Amino acid sequence: MTTPILWALTLTAMAISGWRFWVRFRPLLAARPAGRTDRIADRLSFMVGDIGLHRRLLRFSYSGILHALIFSSFLVLFTAILESFGSGLFPGFSLTAIGGETWIALLQNIFAVVITIGLGMAIYHRFVIRPERFEGSKTRDATIIYVLATPIVITMILEASARLAIDGQGSAWRPVSTLFMYPMMALGITGHAAEQAEGVFYWAHILAILAFLVYIPGSKHRHMFTAGPNIFFRPLTPKGQLPAPAPTPGEDTPTTVQAYRDFTWKDLLDTMSCTECGRCQSVCPAHAQGKPLSPKKLIMNLRDGYLTDQGLMDSPDHAMPIVGGTIQPETLWSCTTCRACMEVCPVHIEHVPKIVNLRRSLVEEGEVEPLLQSALTNFQSQGNSYGKPAKQRARWTKGLSYKIKDARKEPVDILWFVGDFASFDPRAQKLSFLVAELLGRAGVDVGILYDGERNSGNDVRRAGDEGLFEMLAMHNIEQLEVCEFNRIMTTDPHSLNALKSEYPALGAAFDVVHYSELFLELIKADRLRINPGQAGRVTYHDPCYLGRYNGIFDAPRDVIRALGHELIEMPRNRDNSFCCGAGGGRIFMEDSPGGERTSESRIREAMELGDIDTFVVACPKDVVMYSAAVQALGVEDRIAVRDLAELITETVETEERVAQ
Amino acid sequence: MHIAAILRLNPVLTEELEVDEDGRDIDREWIGLELNPFDDQALEQAVLLKEATGAKVTALAAEAEGGERLLKTALARGVDEVLLIEVGEENVQLSSRARAPLFQEALEGLAPDLVLTGVLSTDDIYGELAPQLGALLDWPQVSAVSNVALGDGVATLQQEYSGGISARIEVQLPAVVGLQAATQPPRYVAGSKLRDLLKVEVPTVEPGADFGADLADATELEVPDTSGGAEMLTGDAEAVAARIHEILVERGLV
Repeated sequence: MTTPILWALTLTAMAISGWRFWVRFRPLLAARPAGRTDRIADRLSFMVGDIGLHRRLLRFSYSGILHALIFSSFLVLFTAILESFGSGLFPGFSLTAIGGETWIALLQNIFAVVITIGLGMAIYHRFVIRPERFEGSKTRDATIIYVLATPIVITMILEASARLAIDGQGSAWRPVSTLFMYPMMALGITGHAAEQAEGVFYWAHILAILAFLVYIPGSKHRHMFTAGPNIFFRPLTPKGQLPAPAPTPGEDTPTTVQAYRDFTWKDLLDTMSCTECGRCQSVCPAHAQGKPLSPKKLIMNLRDGYLTDQGLMDSPDHAMPIVGGTIQPETLWSCTTCRACMEVCPVHIEHVPKIVNLRRSLVEEGEVEPLLQSALTNFQSQGNSYGKPAKQRARWTKGLSYKIKDARKEPVDILWFVGDFASFDPRAQKLSFLVAELLGRAGVDVGILYDGERNSGNDVRRAGDEGLFEMLAMHNIEQLEVCEFNRIMTTDPHSLNALKSEYPALGAAFDVVHYSELFLELIKADRLRINPGQAGRVTYHDPCYLGRYNGIFDAPRDVIRALGHELIEMPRNRDNSFCCGAGGGRIFMEDSPGGERTSESRIREAMELGDIDTFVVACPKDVVMYSAAVQALGVEDRIAVRDLAELITETVETEERVAQ
Repeated sequence: MHIAAILRLNPVLTEELEVDEDGRDIDREWIGLELNPFDDQALEQAVLLKEATGAKVTALAAEAEGGERLLKTALARGVDEVLLIEVGEENVQLSSRARAPLFQEALEGLAPDLVLTGVLSTDDIYGELAPQLGALLDWPQVSAVSNVALGDGVATLQQEYSGGISARIEVQLPAVVGLQAATQPPRYVAGSKLRDLLKVEVPTVEPGADFGADLADATELEVPDTSGGAEMLTGDAEAVAARIHEILVERGLV
């Protein structure tokens, strides 16, 4: 009698659950291609660290640990689910032969405790600690899961307790169930009554599991099924390489993302994998500044929009717009593309490429704010955001103690790609001057492109003007390809990212180094001699496009230490560095009043270290951003923003001193 | 309906300008060029009228250098056709007045219903181009216009006066308009549209007419002296006040 009922219940629940999954995932089949099936072995091996070892989850230790407790318990307790359904559906099925009554039973009992602790921690976290990152997440959904998961565990334990109570004989393999057997017997549940109780708990257990199964597809807890694939299908291209607009199947020219069906299937899978954990929100500089962007809500809104869009499959003519629908333009323009969200997301959701894709659709329509428009127009006409003629690009070299070679006219060892800020901003120009003098002193064979250089296009691409990026990039590539050089050096992490990570996609691969790396080499090779003795206590800010995007964390630190300084780290350092607010084209846009600027919050973070007088940067944009922040905070007398080049210049032995 | 928009390039004025050896012109060796902001407005208004009425728009330019790129940008902005009048590479400093007969000749060939151009330009600070063309073509002409609406054989124009006063003027077409502001700010054209048009060949025409004669000539040009005008006063309030008093006495102001 039990078997047919269980079959009917199980099949019905699976059908409902399957249908609920199908309606949500069917549109993925019609979405644009993403090309994520290469390097299968790499993809699988990454999953070991990210799922098995909880590498990213444990960065937030409390919630990482509670997740590990619940996750491992789910794996162990799956054996109990197998036993319950196996024995019910196929009479005679049992795990006894492989230890179902011994060590498996013991594990189940232990992990029943483990999961209870995990769930308790989760409930305490969500309802008592209540971190800000949960703001905007769906509490009801989370609560329902706690309510559904708890009875599954309780009924599993009590079912065994009742079974033991039949004979009143405890079991060393089931300590927890034995513990609950005694109160049960005290209530008179033994013998036949216990047999009946066992049946009741069995069915309660079955029903709780099936309810969970039916509920899951509409809940953020479907990440149990989607997180694995989402991590597997992660991008393996360089972090600094944005995907180009994806082509529409059957069409030659890629079009921008205007409706949900213009996304790739991976973009849609991302939205369906979001667990609303809010780690991204907690590290987002735009959110911290009170701007209308939370990476978490962006993904949630895209998901909600995607799930309500009827145009995806059945009536393509009525596709719902994304921007102006669930997503507002201000949200998209708030992003600095700093990548902190992507770096911290446990399921590897790709926030930044979605934002850039949607910006592309705005730019294509000409919908850009006035300041950005004028910067982009300057890029179009002059190749730099300042609107200055290319002929003036090398003006900062006037007054150097030597003439920098024109790399277009003679071979050089190091081709210095100077970049816009380092060429045109008065403060950054002085640093370029120092770098040039240091290179001269070290006898480096260096050349620049003079008026042949254009902006690298890194931030133009992130602002959403793909065509303009391609024009700028192709111009630079044409210039570089006729030059003879061994390596490219730049002081600007944004240029570095374009040259190192973006241009290879356009067929141009160069060996690119940051000036921190080159100067470290020169110091180690004794081509620049250090005169220690002016040591100070300093802190260092990782530029997003140097650190998070291109993994260059150590070279600037090694230089600072080689100069004899004591380096004190800020709490947010290396891949958890906090953006200055200038990236992704933000520096060209209006900084509307809101909360505290991220650059100012960063300076305060440095000052809270106490006894720090120097804030070291290694990016021309950082020099501009943080100098302004120090002024705005009125703390010029307490902390100085200094570029790596300044530190080296004041510590290095001059030729005269060497001669003495 | 056919609208002609006349576009001119200006030196980028946010730059430090230098006077050339003759002392009668800026040194054009190092400067950048940009679309005259008023012509930018005229271009935008032409495209807005095209979108509103389905009119055809032709953009015209007469530049020694940079004209091709300028007209490709105009195509990306939405004009239908472009025409570059060749003036010779050596003529880098033509005034609008010198170019007026060339535009007249081209316009007689195109026979547009309406000519839009910027009310002023750095080479035309008196706003001569529109009136000159009106006179040469013997068409009605209105300058300082901030709104254009097209009707049946007429255009309704809003002309700006000082003190926030404006007049509504109706003119018979064809006519020439010196535009001050379009009804919407100039739009942004995505790089992808520009990129697609980079390979387009811009049609050129050799002018038959001579340059117009300038009535006035620059005799001497000088960069305004901007140095040494300010002194930063530092110190506490008393020290600053004392210094201010000193300066006022020094200059004989008190």
